[in-house]
Amino acid sequence: MSIELAPRRRESHALYITLLLLLLNLTLLSVQVEDPSGVMLLKKWVLAAGAPFIDLSAGASHAVKEFWLDYVWLHGARAENARLKQAVERLALRVRSLEQLEEENRRLRSLLAFRAGTHFEALGARVIGRAPDFLSRIAYLDRGSADGVRADCPVVTAEGIVGRVILAAPHTSQVQLITNADASVGVVIERTGSPGVLRGTGGPLLEVGYISSTEEVAVGDLVVTSGLDRIYPKGLAVGKVVASGKGKSVFREIRVEPSVDLLRMEQTLILMRTEPAPAAERRELQD
Amino acid sequence: MKYLLLALFSFLAVIAQMIAGNGFFLFNFLDLSLILVAFWAVYRNRTQALFVGSIAGLLQDAVLGWPLGYNGFGKTLAAFLVGLAARHFNVEGAWIRAALIAAASCVNVLSVFLLFLLLQRNVGAIFLGASLMQCLITGGVGSLAFAAYDGYSGTRFRKAG
Repeated sequence: MSIELAPRRRESHALYITLLLLLLNLTLLSVQVEDPSGVMLLKKWVLAAGAPFIDLSAGASHAVKEFWLDYVWLHGARAENARLKQAVERLALRVRSLEQLEEENRRLRSLLAFRAGTHFEALGARVIGRAPDFLSRIAYLDRGSADGVRADCPVVTAEGIVGRVILAAPHTSQVQLITNADASVGVVIERTGSPGVLRGTGGPLLEVGYISSTEEVAVGDLVVTSGLDRIYPKGLAVGKVVASGKGKSVFREIRVEPSVDLLRMEQTLILMRTEPAPAAERRELQD
Repeated sequence: MKYLLLALFSFLAVIAQMIAGNGFFLFNFLDLSLILVAFWAVYRNRTQALFVGSIAGLLQDAVLGWPLGYNGFGKTLAAFLVGLAARHFNVEGAWIRAALIAAASCVNVLSVFLLFLLLQRNVGAIFLGASLMQCLITGGVGSLAFAAYDGYSGTRFRKAG
């Protein structure tokens, strides 16, 4: 029996080649396989692997910014404080008036035997990053599938809709903004009720299509969600019309400015669809 | 050229199994390509055995209609472990070889099973039962094949480099 004494280098050589081949096979598999929601697993793994670093850097830069603004750069802080206090008082009055309107709405709807549709649960989420490609209009939030977030969950702020979740990793979500060139939303012009389809252009403005040239749409009209796309709840603000004119085809050419400042937003809400209202509550509404 | 030859051997092993399995039911429980991988790791070159394992595994996945990579991953791992065992232990006895090849087959099957779970695929209980039979039959047949090779070539086992 002949014995060859292999040097230690050969031992590690075989190990490195094994690891490389195993990694190649695993990568090949993950490129081909999709998870049950139809998302390529490699994409999900890359996002999950990168999320801690994105979150960490966003947290660090946020902390530095907070420290600078709260303790170092206090220029105009007093005047801003006074201005904000007044704004808070005005908003508090408005909130009280809206609460009264809401209560009246509820009573009127129950009198009309309004049938409750599906409800949404809102989950607060912080923007931790944006896609490096300016035109792709993609944002990343610090909530994911571990918090119940799923693909197609709408993302909103108090000002209006932001976009929808297209990929949910365990602790991070990828959001397609409404300004993304592939984004579309079912909308209506609030004043006239004209339904249309809002599309992103990759730029700061949005386009609304499929509204007939005979419909009256004026600059300044508010555009809200119609709920017909089954993604965004009905009645959420989308933006304001900034240009409206007769197009080359039978439809109007309408440009909309989003109501949310998508470049500067930091806090959002992810809306997660819950079960329909319980039977007892539906009966109460119908009585 | 050498690696093309390795790929060819791997391909032939998979094809041979397809043909034999069509004619004889028991061949469906025999992993010929794993025996080839173990042979290469024990008698030839450990590093080459890794490539044989990877290629044979990928070809097997293609033949089975699975996403490429399941068996490639498993057989690469099996090749590494057989090579490691052959390097550090005396694997001359028939029983030891049978056990080594059966263990390699188990490693292959287990890694495929774990990949199925990791990639959120369903695995039936029958998969594990059939795989256990495959490990035993492959170990036995592999050991016989090695003994036949030893008798034919007059070659004794040497520690692979």
